Amino acid sequence: MLEVKNVQKSFGANHVLRGVDLKVEKGDIIVILGPSGSGKTTLLRCLNFLERADQGTMDFDEIHTDLKTASKSTVNQVRKKTAFVFQNYSLFQNKTALENVMEGLVIARKVPKKEAEIIAKKTLDKVGLSERYDYYPSQLSGGQQQRVGIARAIAVNPDVLLFDEPTSALDPELVGEVLNVMKNLAREGATMIVVTHEMTFAQQVASRVIFMDGGVVVEEGSPREIFTRPKEERTSQFLHRVLRDDYEYNI
Amino acid sequence: MQLDTAFMWTTFLDVLHGIPTTLKLTIITLLLSSPIGFFMALSKSSGWGIARRIITVYVSFIRGTPVVLQILFLYSLLPTTLNYIIRNVLGLSFNIFRTDPIIYAYIVFTLNTTAVLSEVFRSALSTVPAGQLEAALSIGLNARQAYVRIILPQALTAALPNLCNASVNLLKSTSLAFMMTVKDVTAIAKIDASFGYNYLEAYLVIFFVYILLCSLVQLLFHLLEHALSSYKNTAAQRHEKNAASAYRRHMASAR
Repeated sequence: MLEVKNVQKSFGANHVLRGVDLKVEKGDIIVILGPSGSGKTTLLRCLNFLERADQGTMDFDEIHTDLKTASKSTVNQVRKKTAFVFQNYSLFQNKTALENVMEGLVIARKVPKKEAEIIAKKTLDKVGLSERYDYYPSQLSGGQQQRVGIARAIAVNPDVLLFDEPTSALDPELVGEVLNVMKNLAREGATMIVVTHEMTFAQQVASRVIFMDGGVVVEEGSPREIFTRPKEERTSQFLHRVLRDDYEYNI
Repeated sequence: MQLDTAFMWTTFLDVLHGIPTTLKLTIITLLLSSPIGFFMALSKSSGWGIARRIITVYVSFIRGTPVVLQILFLYSLLPTTLNYIIRNVLGLSFNIFRTDPIIYAYIVFTLNTTAVLSEVFRSALSTVPAGQLEAALSIGLNARQAYVRIILPQALTAALPNLCNASVNLLKSTSLAFMMTVKDVTAIAKIDASFGYNYLEAYLVIFFVYILLCSLVQLLFHLLEHALSSYKNTAAQRHEKNAASAYRRHMASAR
C-alpha cells in the first residue's frame, strides 16, 4: 500500500537518513525502535512531508512521487491519506476537543458541519472522552490531550496512522490509557507506523519491528525474531540496554 | 499661586472638540499600520531574503530616531519635495501646500507605528509553537487555512498586551501633531493658553484628558483580552467558576 525507497535526509552536515526503505501493507502495525538520533522521527516526518527528504521515492496506492520534488497538491493528497500523532500532542490550543477533531473533517475534507460533529463525538467517545467535548487543551491532562490527538488523527479515517513517540511526554501513570487506545485501534485493523520506546507495546502489538540506528534500517522482522534472537550486534546491544533499564526501573 | 478654574473649565470644553482629531489620528493610524505591520512580521519570520533585510533596516531606522525628529524632517521635506515634483516633473499647477496637514500626521504616525507593530506581531507569531502549524498541515489544511484558523487567533491573543501598549503610546504621541498645525487636544490647549499665558492650567486640563483617553483604551483592550483568551482558562479557573455557581445555586435554594 505504502512504500518508500532510499529516503535520505541531512540537516546541515548531519546525515540523519542514509537511504531507508520501508514497505507497509494494509493492517500492518510497524513499530520503529532505535536509539535517539537514529532518524526514526525524521523518517516518520518525511512520510507526511513535515520534513522534505533530500532524496527518495514514494508509492502510496495511486500516488507515485519523488519525495524531494513532490508538488503541493501531491503533498496535500498524501497528507489527506495519512494522519500524524505528535509527541507533544500539538492540539490546537484555541479550539475545544470537539473542534480539534472536527477541523480536519470540516475544513480540509469539506464534510458538512453537522455530520462532522457526529463523527467527532463518536471518535471522542471511542478514546474515552465523551465527558470532555467542550474542554480546551489547557484544561485536559496530558493523557487526555494525547487521546484527543489520536481522535483527531483517526476521525478523518486515514489509510495510515503515524505515531511519533506518542507516550514520551506523558507522566508514567498516564502512559497506559494512551497505549490502550492504540491497542484497540490495532485490534480494529488500523494501519499504523509507531515510533516508540515502549518495548512491551512493540512486543505485544507490532506485526513487524524495525530497528534503526545511524540513519539506516539495521534489522527488521517479527517482534519475536527481533526481541528473542536479533541477528545484528547493534540490535541486541540496544535491546539489552533498554530492557535492562526497564527491568531496573520496575524494581 | 492661584489656578484660574473658570479658564480651566472653558479650556476643557474647548479641548473636547480636539478629541475626535486625536482619536482619528490614533485609529486611522492603527488601521493603516496594523495590516502592513502584520505582513512585515510574516515576511520577516518566513524568511524572504531581500524583504527581510529591507524590513530590518526600516524598523531599526524608525526605532533609532525620535518621533519629533521624524515629524520635523517629514513636515519640512515632504511638501517641498512633492511641490518640486508636481511643478517641475509633472508640470501640474496643483498647490500641495494647501493639503490638510493631518495627512502629514497620518504619514508620520503610520510610518512609526508600522515599525512598532511589525515587531509586536513578530514576537506574537513566535509565541505560537511550530507544532501548531505542523498539526494543521498534517490534518490536511493548507498553509493559508492553517494561518487564518489556527496560528493567527493564537498570535493575536498573545499580541494584545503589546498592542495595547503600542496604541496607548501612539495616542500619547499624537500630541506632537500640533507641530504640524493639526488641531488636536494639545494644539487647542496651547492656543487657549497663549492668550493669557495660562499654560499651567491648560496643561493640567489636557493631562486629565489624556489620562482619561488612555484609560479608556486600556479598558477596551482589557475587555478584548478577556473575551479572546477564554481558551487559556485553566482547569483550576473553570473549577472555581463551577464552584462559585454551585455556591450561588445553593444560596438561592436556601432562600
